[in-house]
Amino acid sequence: MTKSWYSDLPQYYQRQIKAAGLDEAGLTRRRLLKGMAATAGVAMAGLSSRPSQAASQMTYMCWEGYNDPRIIDPFRKANDVEIAFDLIVDSPGGFAKLQAGASREVDLVSSDMPWITRLGPAGLAQELNPADYADVYATFYDQFKPPFEPLLNEGKTIGVATRWGWVGPCVNTDLTKPEIWKSYDPVFDDANKGKICVMDWGDWPILPMALHAGIDPYQELDQNALEETRKVLRAMFKNTRTLVADLTQAQKGLLDGSLLGCIGAGSYLTSAVRKQGHKNIIAVVPEPKNGLKQGIIWVEATAILKDTDQPELAQKLLKHVVSKESGHVLSLLDSTCNVVTNKAVEALYTPEERDILQADYMWTAWDNSQMHRIAPNIDDMLAIWQEELAAAQ
Amino acid sequence: MTAILDIQDVRKSYGSYAALKGVSLSVNQGEFIALVGPSGCGKTTLLKQIAGFEEPDTGRIAIAGADMAGVPAAKRPTSMVFQKLALFPHMTVAENIGFPLKLRRTDTAEIKKRVGQMIELMQLKGEYLTRYPRQLSGGEQQRVALARSMVSAPKLLLLDEPLSALDVKLKKVLQAELKRLHRSVGVTFVHVTHDLEEAMMLADRICVMRDGAILQLGTPADIYYRPAGSFVSGFIGETNLLPITISERTSSGLIYQAADIVDTDGRIAADLVAGKVAKGPALLMLRPELLRVLPPGETADGAIAAEVTEMFGKGGTVQYRARTPGGQMLVVEIPGTSSLPMRIGDKVRLGFTKKDIYVFGVEA
Amino acid sequence: MADEVPRSWRDPDLLIKALPTVLLQTTCFLAPLVMTFLLTFQRSRNFQLQWSWDLWTWTDVFSKPHYWTILGHTIFMAAATVAICLIIAFPIAYGLATRFKAWENEIKVLITFAFITDATLKIYGWALFLDKNGMANYALSSIGLPPEMVAFLYTDWATLLGMVYSLSAFAIFTLYLSISNIDRSLILAAYDAGAGKFRAHWEVTLPLCKPGIWAGSVLIFLLSVGAFLEPKVLGGGKSPMSAELIRQTFETRVNWPLGAALTLVLMVVSVFIVLLFSRLIGLKRAGLAA
Ligand SMILES: Nc1ncnc2c1ncn2[C@@H]1O[C@H](COP(=O)(O)OP(=O)(O)O)[C@@H](O)[C@H]1O
Ligand SMILES: [Mg+2]
Repeated sequence: MTKSWYSDLPQYYQRQIKAAGLDEAGLTRRRLLKGMAATAGVAMAGLSSRPSQAASQMTYMCWEGYNDPRIIDPFRKANDVEIAFDLIVDSPGGFAKLQAGASREVDLVSSDMPWITRLGPAGLAQELNPADYADVYATFYDQFKPPFEPLLNEGKTIGVATRWGWVGPCVNTDLTKPEIWKSYDPVFDDANKGKICVMDWGDWPILPMALHAGIDPYQELDQNALEETRKVLRAMFKNTRTLVADLTQAQKGLLDGSLLGCIGAGSYLTSAVRKQGHKNIIAVVPEPKNGLKQGIIWVEATAILKDTDQPELAQKLLKHVVSKESGHVLSLLDSTCNVVTNKAVEALYTPEERDILQADYMWTAWDNSQMHRIAPNIDDMLAIWQEELAAAQ
Repeated sequence: MTAILDIQDVRKSYGSYAALKGVSLSVNQGEFIALVGPSGCGKTTLLKQIAGFEEPDTGRIAIAGADMAGVPAAKRPTSMVFQKLALFPHMTVAENIGFPLKLRRTDTAEIKKRVGQMIELMQLKGEYLTRYPRQLSGGEQQRVALARSMVSAPKLLLLDEPLSALDVKLKKVLQAELKRLHRSVGVTFVHVTHDLEEAMMLADRICVMRDGAILQLGTPADIYYRPAGSFVSGFIGETNLLPITISERTSSGLIYQAADIVDTDGRIAADLVAGKVAKGPALLMLRPELLRVLPPGETADGAIAAEVTEMFGKGGTVQYRARTPGGQMLVVEIPGTSSLPMRIGDKVRLGFTKKDIYVFGVEA
Repeated sequence: MADEVPRSWRDPDLLIKALPTVLLQTTCFLAPLVMTFLLTFQRSRNFQLQWSWDLWTWTDVFSKPHYWTILGHTIFMAAATVAICLIIAFPIAYGLATRFKAWENEIKVLITFAFITDATLKIYGWALFLDKNGMANYALSSIGLPPEMVAFLYTDWATLLGMVYSLSAFAIFTLYLSISNIDRSLILAAYDAGAGKFRAHWEVTLPLCKPGIWAGSVLIFLLSVGAFLEPKVLGGGKSPMSAELIRQTFETRVNWPLGAALTLVLMVVSVFIVLLFSRLIGLKRAGLAA
């Protein structure tokens, strides 16, 4: 899976291709065929042969970045293991793929937390014994130490949190003041018509808008609440300049001033530009509105698949991923920079790196945010999104 | 008689290649002119200049007295029958034939009538009208192409080797058809062919071209019996060219010597000599059918001694080959009768009449 | 006649010989279609497929007008792309086939290159070019024109521009082949019959290009119907087309039954339109199809 038609292109283009959905996972028809293969009960697992110079092999399904050679190479050498990567492009897609049969091949997954937790009820994940991980948890921030409720399924720990960040307005401070974004009101301001960018990232732009409408999307919603969501989305589309699935496109728009603010992203979007020196691009979290926290905390977590044939190696790799050294690399990638769950990593940051990560702001953001979970009515909200988008033209 | 087509010193080059090197030609109203010449001599090029598909570099083309310079093909009173027929594959026979009328905004009823007339004139079946060209045989397609060219009553019909792709039998039929059409319609035909035999059969006058220039323009008899040179004489049928030496030119003709010929007086009248012949070597032409076997004792204006080497029947005639003592090969053609006048190995005298010979200079 | 074996579907020899073809056809074409169709009778709940065997998906498809709004918009954009591509491609193909005959081989190489260069990069290039602070505006304002003159990025116009840009090569190619196959003497015959340049085009060149027009149109139409990059990158994603709707349904909503149903609807409608179009330009009549 690591080799594809675009894997020889520069990183920049690879990101563009993935963002545009042109990569393997993104091509709808292929996806359809895969889906059908799955429903027909056809398992393709085991057909692909992997190079086998190393003593053992394993497959790691993860977001791009977790496969950074600086993280993986030391592990590979130390354990004489060949690691194949199955890169995730969107978390539901990765989940669906595992469900469709890839779980037989994959040993370890790093994905968005709700999807990791869902591996529990889906019967795909190995339940972890927190005691086995006491060594890594020891240096974690308290917030992520067990029992970390969002990663529990029926009281059992499904995965270990790795990287996190917040979702809130991303703005250019040269063009607008952060104080203005103490709420999402500017999104609907007539003066900002044609200046708002909406991330085309599934539920990510929908959830903050629901929160702005005074609805907690993480609760079971009634028809009234869904209609309120519809209204707020409709109002948002009025001012929208563009929907963007590609990180670099949104970053460029913020930098050149053609976009005033981006909705549906957060530190994940701004940090890479900050790393390039553009400290005027920041991700803020609005203040609670009528007692409802407006920000959202996203967490990535890593879990071991139940069907793994390398349980010990998988556990070792998991521990390696959340280690101090790996965490430092993971939090300061070229494509995106995000804080991690291991507090020990903080000691390695230079003041400059702290600034890039908005590390002094992270607990403020945490305090004003909801913890991201699966929204029970996400199907309905996505359907509404589609309808309103079709009507917006 | 008025000239319907008048061409004066037309030249045309493609890049550095001169396809027409100064062609002048005048065609009379109602005449059937055949343009003949080997492939690549510029026949099609000349037709293109007349039809207006191309403009000559220099020279003048006038049709019915009007200068055609700058007049586009669509506006010229000419019509072309193309070598590959160029029937429109997406139109039915009726649409093909009616196309020129449609462009002239003729009303539908009139078009239908005229197309019907053309179909009749071309002796095509009425049921073909709704067919597409590719559903017709080669000969039928030919007739449709002719019908399309003639339906708009052009002053000048230009035919670019329209019969060259047909088999011999069909060709003969359509040649007769062309002749009949020409007579019944009275349009002026300029017919290009590389087949001089066809030209002989059809044309009032023949224009022989070579390398972008006209070699000779004349009646079929002129071309056949009084060719302008060995090229023209060799272009049709077989011919005997005997080398002679002209020793003197007089006002009434010339005096010559030839190794193999026993001549009564050694003189040739001036009207049997092509224009430019000077003293020195020349060629004497004798068509095979104008030689006859002289029985012993009989004399003729001239005689050639020869030995028969080959003989073969040619349907109605018998052809012989004979060698003179000087080594010159001769072709003799005589009507086939039950008793053959000579056999292989016979030593014979071949006689000719003075008025049947023609003399021209030796060409490069 | 005596030794001629009657060939019927009962003939075991024939059956065995035909078997591989039949198998290949069914597995590669029919089977996925049937599975897609069966999939539409299931449901999706919380990103999980449920084997419900009911008409929920189809009810949804036929009761929500926005699927059809998007489909209509897609067909309209595809038709517009076809029309614009043909209008642009015709003179180019005509010029290439007639005026530039001498460079025939070079032209073919160039057209092939137009096919194989990566569409993604070109489309992103256009986005950068047309952006508010893009090259187009920079160039225009640097010659003294008012700022932000080029302001149609993230509109349907930009989508159209992108689709025409990436697909017109197909029209140029098919039309070029068609035109260069037309016997030059047919055009001369039209002139000779009294047609001006325009009339000769209309009556002869154009009808004889029908196979090329047909092939180019169908190619471009089907590719436009499947376009998702252009509406996303140049159209700003605000006016999605069917392919994007289907992608969203499969990927973001993880609703495979609905995605399958929308795919089938798009396929059926596209095939129907292609058939209608063939009838319209009268390909059969002139027997030019072969
Ligand atoms: N469009 C053209 N470009 C260059 N050369 C041409 C063109 N048309 C004709 N020729 C050349 O001019 C010469 C005469 O051609 P043409 O008139 O077609 O001969 P033909 O007597 O066989 O009809 C040929 O050598 C041909 O190659
Ligand atoms: Mg010719």
